[in-house]
Amino acid sequence: MAMNHPPVPETAPRARRGFVRSRTLAALAAGALSATSIAVGVASASTHLPSSGRRAPRVAHAGGFLACEVTDTGGINDESFNESAYNALKAAKKVDPSISYTYLSSTSTSDYVPYINDFVNKHCGIIVTVGYDMADATAAAAKKYPGQKFTIVDYEYTPTIKNVLALHYDTNQDAFLGGYLAAAMSKTGKVGTFGGQDIPTVTIYMDGFVAGVRYYDKINHAHVVALGWTPAAKRNYASGSFAGTGLFTNNFTDQGLGKTDAETLMAEGADVIFPVAGAVGLGAAAAVKQAGPGHYMEWVDTDGCISAKQYCSLFITSVTKGIVPSVETAVLAAAHGTFHGGNYIGTLANNGVSISPYHTFASKVPAAVTKELAKIKAGIIAGKISVDPNSYPAS
Amino acid sequence: MSSSPIALSPAALGAPDRRLVSLGRVRGMGVFLVLLGVITLFGLSLSIPPSEHAQFLLTAPPAVSVPPLSMPVRWVNVPLAVLCAALGALLIARGRRRGTYLIFGAGTVAFLWAFLAWAARGGTLNFEQLLAETLVETTPLVFGSLSGVMCERSGVINIAIEGQFLAGAFLGAMIGSATGNLWLGALAGGFAGGLFGALLAFLSLRYGADQIIVGILIDAFCLGLTNFLLAQVLTPDQTTLNSPSTFSPVAIPLLSKIPIVGPVLFDQNVFVYLAAVLLVVVNVALFSTRWGLRVRAVGEHPKAAETVGIHVLAVRYRNVILGGVIAGLGGASFTIGSVGQFSSDMSSGLGYVALAAMIFGRWRPLGALGAALLFGFSVSLQSFLAVLNVGIPSPFLAMAPYVITIAVVSGLVGRVRPPGADGVPYRRD
Repeated sequence: MAMNHPPVPETAPRARRGFVRSRTLAALAAGALSATSIAVGVASASTHLPSSGRRAPRVAHAGGFLACEVTDTGGINDESFNESAYNALKAAKKVDPSISYTYLSSTSTSDYVPYINDFVNKHCGIIVTVGYDMADATAAAAKKYPGQKFTIVDYEYTPTIKNVLALHYDTNQDAFLGGYLAAAMSKTGKVGTFGGQDIPTVTIYMDGFVAGVRYYDKINHAHVVALGWTPAAKRNYASGSFAGTGLFTNNFTDQGLGKTDAETLMAEGADVIFPVAGAVGLGAAAAVKQAGPGHYMEWVDTDGCISAKQYCSLFITSVTKGIVPSVETAVLAAAHGTFHGGNYIGTLANNGVSISPYHTFASKVPAAVTKELAKIKAGIIAGKISVDPNSYPAS
Repeated sequence: MSSSPIALSPAALGAPDRRLVSLGRVRGMGVFLVLLGVITLFGLSLSIPPSEHAQFLLTAPPAVSVPPLSMPVRWVNVPLAVLCAALGALLIARGRRRGTYLIFGAGTVAFLWAFLAWAARGGTLNFEQLLAETLVETTPLVFGSLSGVMCERSGVINIAIEGQFLAGAFLGAMIGSATGNLWLGALAGGFAGGLFGALLAFLSLRYGADQIIVGILIDAFCLGLTNFLLAQVLTPDQTTLNSPSTFSPVAIPLLSKIPIVGPVLFDQNVFVYLAAVLLVVVNVALFSTRWGLRVRAVGEHPKAAETVGIHVLAVRYRNVILGGVIAGLGGASFTIGSVGQFSSDMSSGLGYVALAAMIFGRWRPLGALGAALLFGFSVSLQSFLAVLNVGIPSPFLAMAPYVITIAVVSGLVGRVRPPGADGVPYRRD
């Protein structure tokens, strides 16, 4: 397979060099294996190019615009932010057909730097990096190549970097609505959440979710409990600290563990589960489905009824962030010379974050709850309702 | 064993080790239990208000219903703490005698009981589900470590378990989904694992390549290949190719009705039963049959085995491919035995954990089971502790399964000895 794919990246010869010393055929075979495994990543990327990967730079020079995405370890089909960013590239091409796009899928965190460098060498018009974990690699590359435009999903730089547009989302605002809705739909009086990793972009969701549940309890004099996340009582909320203790799978790949964690939450009484863990949430969906009627969940990042439609009947709603529109805007801006670095913050007010339509739950969510949610949304936008969980007593 | 034509001690061939635990280790275990007892007494008992209760749920269908166990935490934990410390003192007083592990095990159970009661104080712990999740987390590790045992007992190191997991998970999901037949999916998973077992065998036996390097390359290759095929083949046709159903639990009549352990052990899906059967089969075959004796001879001293007429390479080929098949079946359990859908890198390093379980288990199926159970229990325990909100920071909980496994295993198992020819290419000259 390696032979059929000319665009083998610079890393391949290095990987093979170690074997040249050995005389055996086995070593050659093993070397070919390693080259193949690397080529596979590129092959998947190059199939999306209008021409072969090797010609891409020339296309770029000729006036075409190449948008390049480096995924984090979740991969391009994570049904979450990597896939959303990729969909944004597709959407940008629909708007402006002169844009072409490609991606490299990181299989480990050590891929970030070489993959970004690959794309710099390919003269990408903009490099889209995905995820909090890639923040350092992106910042370093941006400083090294000041002429290269970057946009990163899920991060906020202080101070800002002039050639990086950092996209950041106040997802505690829509998660607050999700938490309220979960509490309203719970029959057992317990709802649960778990995260993929204890990092701010994950725990901000969990914070908002818990705050929403507590707000529900406060205004309805109810006693719904949120399991799986306890926000820290004392913290500097303004600084963006979302500290606390809770349930995490500690990766975004182990669906089996996501299933286990959802089962734990349900075993402890929760009947609405909110996984904040990308593809790991699919494991939770399998558990919720297996648990049968009376167990629901809320999907995260994207509209679950589109990205994980096989489980649509389980999703009350999805707590989404507008990665697609914001990345698309960034790519188009870069293509049309209107790109400005800095930070973008998605909120309920600018529709950068929102909860999705109810889909199969349209007839099951009481109208009074929907009405109250609209009121809460207006309250959050107006700054009258706090999304800080510590503003409300925990039950 | 006495009819063995090869002059090796039974211990070297892996027969049960009857030697007693060393005095130092016995004392270490004793001191450890006494310390646990003291911690339990002051940290987990006397600090709790006398009125606080903990409830353990002990029932799941289809078992005969058992009422929840409600305990006043303080008054249950004080005697447990004393028991734990007393067993530790007993160990120190007895010195090197039979039954050390039994006493240590009893002390640990007393501590765990007290710890769980403390964690669930003022609330409810679904103890039944804790056990059920332990078994679920353990199952793929059993497949993985059996695969390792098969390979390494014959003298070939199998680092490729992780890759074989992924290959099995992928093909299991794809074939199970495309044909709508889960049994075909399981077969396909085994086939995919066997294929990469064959590749490992071919490169390391035919050409004497470094087994560890080849194994790691297979892991990297399987990760890249499954990611590529996921994006190019499965995802565009998700509903046909990547949405298999999953094996439903099969309740064994009567046995599944036993309270507490019934649903955990006897209401599981086919992969759990398969793992149990394989465990017994591999254990018996390896230590009680002529076939097993030959395998172990090849793994310990291939030259000696060759001189008595055993075809070393044939034994190794067979075992490495069989080991691949077992790992592939374990891989299939990730998809058609659990969540029903393949996703990128879904084995998430469990293949390496399985390998470690095998080493901690001294290259024995039952030892590996012990280590795997310990890891599985720690994983489900940390899940419950996070939900019960015991106030332990999440990163520490995340570390817990690994720390507990390493600490317990290195404390109890001590030095392990691999098969003599493990990882050494064999050349006839």
